[in-house]
Amino acid sequence: MNITVTINGAATAIECEPFDTLLAVLRRQGLVSVRYGSDTGETGASAVLVDGRLVNTDCMLAAQADGHEVVTVEAFNTAELHPIQAAFVAVGAMQSGYSTPATILGTWALLQEHPDPSEEQIRDMLSGILDRETAYVKPVEAVERAAALLRDEATEPFGPLVLPPMTDGRNPVDVDPADARPTASPAVPRLIPSRDVPEMAVVGKPEVKVDAIRLAKGNPAFTDDFEARGQLVAKVLRSPHAHARIVAIDDSAAVALPGVHAVLHHENTPRIKYASGGQSWPNPHPYDQVSFDDKVRHVGDRVAAVAAETAEIAEEALRLIEVTYEVLPAVYDELEAMADGAPVIHDEDDTTDIHDRDRNIVHHIEAQRGDVDAGFAAAEHVFEQTFRVHQVQQVPIENHISVAWLDSDERMVVRTATQVPFHTRRMLAPLIGMEIKDVRVIKPRIGGGFGAKQEMLIEDIAAHLALATRRPVKLELTREEEFMSSRTRHPQTLTFKTGVADDGTLVSQELRIIGNTGPYGTHAYTVQTVSGLRGLTSYNCPNKKFDCDVVYTNIPVPGAYRGYGAPQAEFALEAHMEDIAHELGIDPIEFRRKNWVVVGSELDIAPHLGERSVEEGELDEYPKVMSNGIEECVAQGRRAIEWHRTADPAWTTPPDRPNIRRGLGFAFCMHGTAIPFLDMGGCSIKINDDGSFNMLIGATDLGTGADTVIGQIAAEVLGVPLDDIKVYSSDTDMTPFDTGAYASSTTYISGTAAKLAAEKVRERLKERAAKLLGVEVPCTIELRDKRAWAPDGSSVSLEEIALDSLHMDEHEQIMGTASYVSPDCPPPFAAQFAEIEVDVDTGQVTVVKLVMAVDCGVAINPVTASGQVEGGMIQALGYAHCEEFAFDDDGRMVNAALGPYKIYRADEMPETEVYLIQTMEDSGPFGAKAVAEIPKDGVAPAIRNAIRHATGARIDDLPFTPERVWNALHPPT
Amino acid sequence: MPSVLAYHRPGNLDEASTLLAGDNRRALGGGTVVVPDSRVQRDVGVELVDLQALGLDGIESDGDRVVMGAMVRLGELTTHELAPALLRDLARRELPSALRNQATIGGTVALAESSSVLLAGLLVHDAQVMLHGSTGRQLDDVLASGLDGGIITAVSIDSTGHGAIAATGRTPADEPIVAAVARTGADGVRLVLTGVAPTPIQVDPADPTAGLSPIGDFRGSVDYRLHLAAVLSARVVEEVAS
Repeated sequence: MNITVTINGAATAIECEPFDTLLAVLRRQGLVSVRYGSDTGETGASAVLVDGRLVNTDCMLAAQADGHEVVTVEAFNTAELHPIQAAFVAVGAMQSGYSTPATILGTWALLQEHPDPSEEQIRDMLSGILDRETAYVKPVEAVERAAALLRDEATEPFGPLVLPPMTDGRNPVDVDPADARPTASPAVPRLIPSRDVPEMAVVGKPEVKVDAIRLAKGNPAFTDDFEARGQLVAKVLRSPHAHARIVAIDDSAAVALPGVHAVLHHENTPRIKYASGGQSWPNPHPYDQVSFDDKVRHVGDRVAAVAAETAEIAEEALRLIEVTYEVLPAVYDELEAMADGAPVIHDEDDTTDIHDRDRNIVHHIEAQRGDVDAGFAAAEHVFEQTFRVHQVQQVPIENHISVAWLDSDERMVVRTATQVPFHTRRMLAPLIGMEIKDVRVIKPRIGGGFGAKQEMLIEDIAAHLALATRRPVKLELTREEEFMSSRTRHPQTLTFKTGVADDGTLVSQELRIIGNTGPYGTHAYTVQTVSGLRGLTSYNCPNKKFDCDVVYTNIPVPGAYRGYGAPQAEFALEAHMEDIAHELGIDPIEFRRKNWVVVGSELDIAPHLGERSVEEGELDEYPKVMSNGIEECVAQGRRAIEWHRTADPAWTTPPDRPNIRRGLGFAFCMHGTAIPFLDMGGCSIKINDDGSFNMLIGATDLGTGADTVIGQIAAEVLGVPLDDIKVYSSDTDMTPFDTGAYASSTTYISGTAAKLAAEKVRERLKERAAKLLGVEVPCTIELRDKRAWAPDGSSVSLEEIALDSLHMDEHEQIMGTASYVSPDCPPPFAAQFAEIEVDVDTGQVTVVKLVMAVDCGVAINPVTASGQVEGGMIQALGYAHCEEFAFDDDGRMVNAALGPYKIYRADEMPETEVYLIQTMEDSGPFGAKAVAEIPKDGVAPAIRNAIRHATGARIDDLPFTPERVWNALHPPT
Repeated sequence: MPSVLAYHRPGNLDEASTLLAGDNRRALGGGTVVVPDSRVQRDVGVELVDLQALGLDGIESDGDRVVMGAMVRLGELTTHELAPALLRDLARRELPSALRNQATIGGTVALAESSSVLLAGLLVHDAQVMLHGSTGRQLDDVLASGLDGGIITAVSIDSTGHGAIAATGRTPADEPIVAAVARTGADGVRLVLTGVAPTPIQVDPADPTAGLSPIGDFRGSVDYRLHLAAVLSARVVEEVAS
């Protein structure tokens, strides 16, 4: 059919099909700022203005727009940023930026109607555009700023609010805790500087993200934004059964369908075993997956894949594939899966290294220091408590997407939304029968990952189909597929047993975990070791033991999810510690303080866990905590949450609201920074004619701001503004190796690599500057303000040095390459506080406020760091409060859509405040530690402890949904 | 087999009626539900009949009643001066911003979702559903026995009185597990519950859970939904009475 749509002011005649969505048609018109997030409008990523109103184009037919006016963000794009775009850039309101174009359009529509909108009106507008990254804090600020700009009002530069410390690092200083709390917009990070940290030119500054302009303009940046000529569309047939054998598969009708170019399944695809987790070589065993198997092990598991001319033809072909299944008994619960008589999920002969195949136990993990049994015998008090944590998903707004093609040299190129391009290249090559040298993986911008994309999840399917068809093939998961077939957080049953002396000192602590990894191992081994590590590291204790079984079941596959085993363990630990304190009659924070690690404490269980673990006795000494700002974190957080209200019964039980109880809760958080001796990053820097630099890194910015932060580190070393560092990441043909974006490693590992590479460049610049300036000792030269300065005040510009070296004399390309792997894993620390209300008649919990005070060392960029904390906290809030996978009796997920699977919207958010407590971590680049994952650790236990404070109810299962809380308040008699 | 075989945009109601009388036809309001649902591959494709050109998007006052065209978007209802305050609030609660700019009142009625607070609001405002070529029907009758193929042209409500909602969800803006919506008007208190029956259902304020048999799911069991129905009904009835 033919329609005419006025697109960005131009009447446009379009030929389309009746079933085409407006999203599909606009993208075909090259308007790539309009993005896919789902098919039903819940994400808002596809929103545009139709006749001036914000509407979703994924659930609207193109035909419906016939005769109407459509505006996309491309209409705003000129050489200068539109004031709305400028506002989003200025306050750091974009992380991945995937849905930023939609948000900018919504802002425009709002400000047309309300030039001076209330926060409620702003949040109402934002309610239609889900954001998994910013917690909406900085977008709200951006809309307010945009409104001011459009009213021609002056705006202040956006940056942190610097506050004086409340402690000297250990004890309170002369600050009255009852002093008025500092006030500033919630979007503003509160920064408490350390006197150990020198003032720097670029590091520590709220620099604008290096990718801000392309994100604000909706320029082509993401995997789907570049389309190869002749590109085919792939779709995957998925299992309707939780556990079944494929008895027969008849693809003849699908193959015969016009427009179908390939149909792949277990009968025509090589059976090569692998593990899909994106981890360092050699990936932890067992290798329990193949590209297409003759058995399916969860609803949504792969059965076959089709490449066709269009998505509709591919979907029709899937319907024509006839599969005969022998349905097998299935098991979903980790305890039942270990029991006698449970169905054996991996009964095939070619999967080796399963710990106990007949009991579905894929891994058994143990680590110990001291003697816990002797410790329990000696302790005056022993407490034991069991917790159950559930299954949730990362929910990046950009689903998994890969495009694969053979280039002109017939090498396989895969452009893909991945956090691990180098692991993907290495893992993909054998599956498609190619050598690593003939595979190239390109990571463009990514629309969020959070661990879901730390996986070689779909790249093999796209590559198999590209080989079979000799055409470019795109595979993009639908939202439903993302839920059922990508990755999730591991459910666990955790039991803590703790021996305590009369004075509150920990004597012995044991953590037993039964982890549920669904039908495939992927990250299971490492995730559960991190659970053990995080569960047993926060507190000093002479006797510790971790005992863990990881179990196969038939649920959708868990894998890596931001936090990576820590949120489960720290929920249990911080609930357990809270309850012990109450049992012993000790203030819960004081009880923790008595036991938590301080500077100099040994990280004693750490070396005994993980892929590079060692036995007790193999170590000369244990790693130690070298920086720790927890006392300042607690002091600032207590003031911010008004902790003194815990002692006020009239506050807890408001007389005018008889069904409401209020509570405050606390959790101590500790995380890691990268995996020592394993995580590695590389960086290469070269100078250009104008004295600017190209920086190539393998690090994988998935929206976090990593490219910006690593660029700031190099700029600081080289004495140039950030704009003179042009960052490119990442491409396995072009950039140095990097393990990828995970384990809170990028700033610390890849940042150190960048610092080392920049220092090599700096040495060459000094040598050449010394020659040009006639200085005898090059090390006396300093780089700043784009110039090299001699001690006598004479200087030469970096441009002059570049031109001299590239064109004039003793020619050389000034460049430096370095890589880094760390022997250390310096822990960031945090104090997480929560304020909640419980409706005791319904069980509904309302989270009023979250405060997190984080010691992440030196925040290289306080704005992006605070954005990480805000986004992480709200994901953690979802984990605690409302997100959960729900299944029917046959293992089919019943809420595989956003809405039924509930993530927080802008118009229902608690208030948040972020404090960045600076410490100097000498092992990190310019003092930095990690910030990415620790925000995931404390929200669930802080809310749990707040519910306990409010009502006395102790709830040891997640999430705190109304019926669960009500049942806890009204236990069956 | 293409999922959507054809798209029609009739210019008047008779034409629309004729088009919808064919096999496998479906009326298209905003499309937020019908479009994704129709695009799923099936054995038989559908033809969609878009109602946007029928002039059904007005809101008019008629004495004590307000007549809202079937194609009025929920987003417009959230601010319209003729809409009672309760309905403005419930239209906002029904969907987030962008979806609200697409979804229509007629579509809300046609979908008849159990959890729809806006439908509950229409019910307490004594809604009548206007159908092309036939007399209006009470909304509760439409919900109980179905539309029977007619084209909804408008929904008429008694705009007098004042109302309130009490709801419990996982989060403040979550689709409620159970919601109680009440209004006091000339004929006393009307009370409607969501989440306890296949559609929102009017109940007796004096005995709100009598005869209810909710369907439980992961968000709320049968017993818990009945408990919420009792608690929230008492709250909302007290609120509108005060």
